[in-house]
Amino acid sequence: MAGKLPKSLAVIAIVVAIGLATYFARRAPKIGPATAPSSGTAAATAPVRGGELLASLRAEPATHNRYVDYSAPGEVLALLTHATLVRVDRTTDTLEPWLAESWTESPDHLAYTLKLRQGVLFSDGTPFTSADVLFSFRALYDPRIKSPLANDTLVNGKPLHIEAPDPATVIVRLPSLFAPGLRLVEGVPILPRHRLERALTEGKFNDAWSATTPVTEIAGLGPFVLVEHASGERLVVARNPHYWRKDAAGVALPYLDKLTVVFASQASEALKLQAGEIDLMTNADIRSDDYAAFKRAADQGRVRLIDGGLGLDPNLLWFNLTAVHAKEPASRLFQQKAFRQAVSCIVDRQAIVNTVYLGAAVPIYGPVTPANRTWFADVRPACEHDPIRARELLAAAGLADRNGDGVLEDASGKTARFSILTQAESIRARVVAVLQEQLRQAGIAVDIVPLDQGALFARFAKGDFDAIYYGIQSSAIDPALSPGFWLSSGDYHFWNRNQKAPATEWERRIDDLMRQQAETFNVEERRRLFTEVQRIFVEEMPAIYFVTPKVTLAVSARVVNPQPAPQIPQLLWSADSLATRR
Amino acid sequence: MISWTARAGLVGLSIVVIVTAAAHFIAPHDPARQFPDLAFAPPMLPRVLDNAGHLHRPFIYPIRLVDRLEHRFVEDRSARVTLEWLTSGRLVTTPEGSSPWLLLGADALGRDVFARMLRGAQMSLGVSVVAAALALTLGALLGALAGFVGGKWDAALMRLADFVVVLPIIYVVIVLRATMPLVLSSSQVFWTMTVVLGVAGWPFPARGVRAVIALERKKEYAEAAQAMGAGWLRILLRHLLPAAQGFLAVQATLLLPMFILAEATLSYVGFGFAEPTPSWGVMLHEAAEAGVLSEAPWLLAPAAGIVMSVLCLQLVSEGSTQVSEREGVTH
Amino acid sequence: MRSGFRRYLFRRVGFALLLIFAVSSASLLLARLAPSDDVFAVDRVILAAERHRLGLDKPLLEQYLDWLGRTLRFDFGESLRFRRPVAELIRERAGRTALLGFSALALATLVGIPLGVFTGSRPSGLLTSTVRLTSIVVLSMPSLVTSLVLLLLAARTGWFPAGGLPTISDGTGTLQSIFIVGRYLFLPALALALPMAAALERLQSRAIRDSLTEPCIVAALARGVPRQRVIWRHAFRLGLKTVLAIYGIMIGTALGGSFVVEIVMAWRGLGDLMYQALQSRDLYLVAGCAAAGSCGLAFGILLSDVALAAIDPRVEDVV
Repeated sequence: MAGKLPKSLAVIAIVVAIGLATYFARRAPKIGPATAPSSGTAAATAPVRGGELLASLRAEPATHNRYVDYSAPGEVLALLTHATLVRVDRTTDTLEPWLAESWTESPDHLAYTLKLRQGVLFSDGTPFTSADVLFSFRALYDPRIKSPLANDTLVNGKPLHIEAPDPATVIVRLPSLFAPGLRLVEGVPILPRHRLERALTEGKFNDAWSATTPVTEIAGLGPFVLVEHASGERLVVARNPHYWRKDAAGVALPYLDKLTVVFASQASEALKLQAGEIDLMTNADIRSDDYAAFKRAADQGRVRLIDGGLGLDPNLLWFNLTAVHAKEPASRLFQQKAFRQAVSCIVDRQAIVNTVYLGAAVPIYGPVTPANRTWFADVRPACEHDPIRARELLAAAGLADRNGDGVLEDASGKTARFSILTQAESIRARVVAVLQEQLRQAGIAVDIVPLDQGALFARFAKGDFDAIYYGIQSSAIDPALSPGFWLSSGDYHFWNRNQKAPATEWERRIDDLMRQQAETFNVEERRRLFTEVQRIFVEEMPAIYFVTPKVTLAVSARVVNPQPAPQIPQLLWSADSLATRR
Repeated sequence: MISWTARAGLVGLSIVVIVTAAAHFIAPHDPARQFPDLAFAPPMLPRVLDNAGHLHRPFIYPIRLVDRLEHRFVEDRSARVTLEWLTSGRLVTTPEGSSPWLLLGADALGRDVFARMLRGAQMSLGVSVVAAALALTLGALLGALAGFVGGKWDAALMRLADFVVVLPIIYVVIVLRATMPLVLSSSQVFWTMTVVLGVAGWPFPARGVRAVIALERKKEYAEAAQAMGAGWLRILLRHLLPAAQGFLAVQATLLLPMFILAEATLSYVGFGFAEPTPSWGVMLHEAAEAGVLSEAPWLLAPAAGIVMSVLCLQLVSEGSTQVSEREGVTH
Repeated sequence: MRSGFRRYLFRRVGFALLLIFAVSSASLLLARLAPSDDVFAVDRVILAAERHRLGLDKPLLEQYLDWLGRTLRFDFGESLRFRRPVAELIRERAGRTALLGFSALALATLVGIPLGVFTGSRPSGLLTSTVRLTSIVVLSMPSLVTSLVLLLLAARTGWFPAGGLPTISDGTGTLQSIFIVGRYLFLPALALALPMAAALERLQSRAIRDSLTEPCIVAALARGVPRQRVIWRHAFRLGLKTVLAIYGIMIGTALGGSFVVEIVMAWRGLGDLMYQALQSRDLYLVAGCAAAGSCGLAFGILLSDVALAAIDPRVEDVV
């Protein structure tokens, strides 16, 4: 037996090997003439009512109560099932009437009188009045709730004052001058008082509308109502029969009967979209890696690619500059401006563009990208990328290779080493891998710690990190609406949060400039002030920006009438106007 | 004597071991080096015949980027890059400044998959081998103790073994890892994994060794030795343990695949080695995560590494089982 | 003899219970030791409130006793990440894991056993060698590898969905639903089944080969009973014992393997849940998953012990 077996085994092995070899030889090297790029022609089909679409979402909302859920899935659910007083048309960045059909501004810019739309009903058929608006803001500012949304609805840390002189009128009073005005309330969904008032009075508002609450207890003013939430699987929303909005031709919106949102990881949602199993992704932008596959699917007419312009919310590498962390050896490096500038100067941004983004990105140097047409200022650091200049900066920071091991040391012999926390399984992790290699060549050792989003936040909240590479999505274009980032007292002042008084002179300068521009109503003057802020930021580099992607959005061929916006969710922000082929 | 399959397995194993040990020498490039223009570059086959059919020393045609976003490359047939042998401390490489030789293509960061796979083998196989050695030593000692002493000790040890066997190892390591500091150097990860796997693996050899020892202890020569007044440790080490040698060898071929897989799984789920240290699990994770698996199947090369190592071990164990069966050895 | 068997059974059940208990409490304690506990809120005040609500601010021992008391009532606490009772989450997910595991087991049996009988009864020949080589190669492919390779095939060919769960809309008929679920289930089940099928084939083949040398079989063959009949009627039955005994262990393998397959193929079962729980340090969910997982394992071990004991009375004496 042993004598006979080898021969036949060998024959099989050879046949299999040849088969595999020919398969891969045929398939592997993708070599061919460049075809003219054709991004799938957008058929100008008029939207019609009816039908359903499937979307994907990367994370699951932990609750159905937007007021206690600041997460991205929470925002999506709110956009689908709730409505706000006013809305920013994200394609044009203009404020437009929504539940309030019109408003007037007082001459001193401190009060807005809103006329509410008449005959609007909640999804359970109850009429909507100014009492619901009053109730919503009462819940928003209730100290027992500590709504994370409230932080976005403060002017200099003070709440708005809401009055309701009659059922159809609401007066919004600002505590002080604030240029963006009513944009402040754009993110506040109006909740049904009749459904939630008891929970608020009894102090149980935080647990109301939890993930386990029967969906029938939830009512809203949005285009859809939640009909199913299968944990780990999907959310299903169906047409809100009482939705108030109609399109130009008088057709009652939303167009869709139903929208199913399945939970899928970034990798699997891309595959699903290519395979036609879903129609759109909540984060509709595709990864550069996936471009080739999407391009092929687009050439076959299965998906449509839409140019989404440049990314609005770039990722950033921020250093831990808090006093608590100051004793750490890494922090002693970070405290020196020269070191921070050196890191920026070492990094070849174009290499990140080329490898990680496969060319579909542009180098940037500050937090505001060219996508923000109103507020972007092209300020650059003194050194964009120059290894020689970087070495001078490192020497100025007291770093030199004292023992010839290729790694830099400070005067006391401590190696220049720090760790970067980043989100596992994301393009961020890959950017950090490039940073690690480039910094290694310059003699700085970097440890990468890839973490789950939640664990990353926890570390950040505790201040237990050296540096973090991450990005926060924000729907705000106007810098005055991001005080959390710019002001030293802010929650999202990543490198040193919630300072009682500005820790550095330059942070004080930025605080002043930001306050000044928020109270200025002349746009040109505001822009001048904000450019100065960006200039200081790029000079001080508490956080380093490297690239912003050139965004390509993908939708299935069944999606009709998409209104792509630069912010995420690029398509679901106006879900009521999405339609499908019948 | 040794079956054909076992022989094939042994040859395969030797190749794997040699290549792994000499990874630094064999890899044509530094595994950490990133070639920015070659992200997702396809594998480049070495050639001896050029376009016109002329014979040359082994060479490659360099590849040139056509469309970065769609990762399309063309082979530049106009220029040959001759492979250089035994220069700059490497078996074979291409001159600095010319096109690199990417035998198994490049990954998402333009790194040489072949070089990374070899370096990864050192990590993955290293952990498995050391852990297996630890498990065998622990298992042999505890098993021998149980078999030799018998009674309460025996019962207690075997209950413990039963318990450890059914503990989900992967899970234990994950929880353990979660309790450790975030930043661990590669060597710390290496030793942690080794110790945990070793400790989790001891019951498998221990059970068998105990059975063998319990059986041998009753045999005449052991009793004779005892009668002659030999110390128990001496009997155990000199007379009894050698009887379990064959069994331990077979156990090694069973434990190793288990540990190779455990390392791969752990690193795959992000509780093993971290960038830039490649291990097979880390590389597979990157491959699956890239979402370009269908575009760049060569990223699955470490899977082939796993299969090959395990296959060789299987062949050896299968072969030796057959032999021992034929020879009537029980274990 | 019967009472001996019953005593043995009791002992094994006791062991299984102990195992479940030990694994889940160990994991609760270990997870508690982890340096950061993570709640999905950046705000420190919310964090503290959440921790208080879930009892995470109590001393460790008190937390553990709390948890133990509730566990005995099948209440595993509430998940931080999903904000839902752990027991509920586990019930949902365990169903999917069980579906995956049993489909894989069935698939492995359907493929592995007949092939094993075939190769066992015909020791040489091209076909036998092919099967044998394939099975050795497949046996060397852990489910991590098979699932990645199948994922690659799915992505390239588009024959099967590349991972994920099926979505069934309301209007779909029963038959069609089964078809849809089957399409999604096939690849993960296959990835899990392949190594098991190979193991079964090898085992069955060996068993048949061994039994063919048994006197009764040799006698039957000598009497002129058709070979096919001897093999399927007698040799198969003789060999069945050893193969049956392995099923208990297979359940354990399936559970371990499904951890990986579920993660790779995005099949949202227990393994995937445990992975998410660990990633977000969701304490009670981790412990609950561990308890559920060890339940499955203990069940498998119990089954194999009992099967072994039922087949071979000597086992009682040895253990």
